[in-house]
Amino acid sequence: MSVTLAPGAADNGFASMLAALIAQNLDAHPELRALLAHMEGRVAIVVEDAEVSVTLQFDRVGVTLHDGIRGIPDVTIRGSADDITRTSRIERLGRLGLPDPRGVHAKEALRALRERRLRIYGALGSPLLLARLTRLLSVD
Amino acid sequence: MAEQQIDFPSAEWAAAFRDAINDNPVYAKHAADWTHGSVALVCHAEPAVGLHEDAVIVLDTHQGRCRDASFAMGRQAAERADFVIEASYERWREVLAGRIDPIKGMMQGKLRLTKGHLPTMLKYVESSRALVSSAARVPTRFRERLA
Repeated sequence: MSVTLAPGAADNGFASMLAALIAQNLDAHPELRALLAHMEGRVAIVVEDAEVSVTLQFDRVGVTLHDGIRGIPDVTIRGSADDITRTSRIERLGRLGLPDPRGVHAKEALRALRERRLRIYGALGSPLLLARLTRLLSVD
Repeated sequence: MAEQQIDFPSAEWAAAFRDAINDNPVYAKHAADWTHGSVALVCHAEPAVGLHEDAVIVLDTHQGRCRDASFAMGRQAAERADFVIEASYERWREVLAGRIDPIKGMMQGKLRLTKGHLPTMLKYVESSRALVSSAARVPTRFRERLA
């Protein structure tokens, strides 16, 4: 499983952060490698108040992070730095690591979605990609 | 009487920063279970302001307290720290003035975590912010560009 920064992405602090987060999570939780092996598609994340965006391109053998939006994303996540960071802190339940709706961060993330501070486009078309992404980026 | 300003970076500034952290109840609350080690802040050499080597402040933080804050010139001082955050002099100036949020600054590449476990750092976003707000309470005199 490879985690790669595409040419030019190393200058994007958010891309570097996500690459480090994924690599460190894979080291700490080897079971996430199997999850990554099922991921295929593109996810764009736009941090609006930091004016930075990243595309994660999953191809079942790893993930490549690009500076900005590359290609047509299957899922696009838009929000503030606070709200996007919080999605990594959503509390999880059990072996499957499903989000725990009772958690403090989970409740706040749901509130951000309701108030449209956090928007997720393409979730209905690619629910598994989104669910696996949140697990891969979790710090819980 | 005007408050005496302390040069940044310096040993005196590091000591004042330690005291400001320990006087900050927000930091004590959010870092109460921090047992993940020391944090080094590396300010890159900036000859234009007379800083000819990297300057390093190492915070020995543990369970909501700062047990010690040391200052040294030369980046080798950061090698034993568990977390290392680096930025240019101007970026630190903006952070300490509250013009850059630390997490947003990292996303923008203005601050770099060059050592340490990022998932742990992200769990402690509020304590990172409280560290910055503590630093902002230190009356700081920044270096100006040499003519």
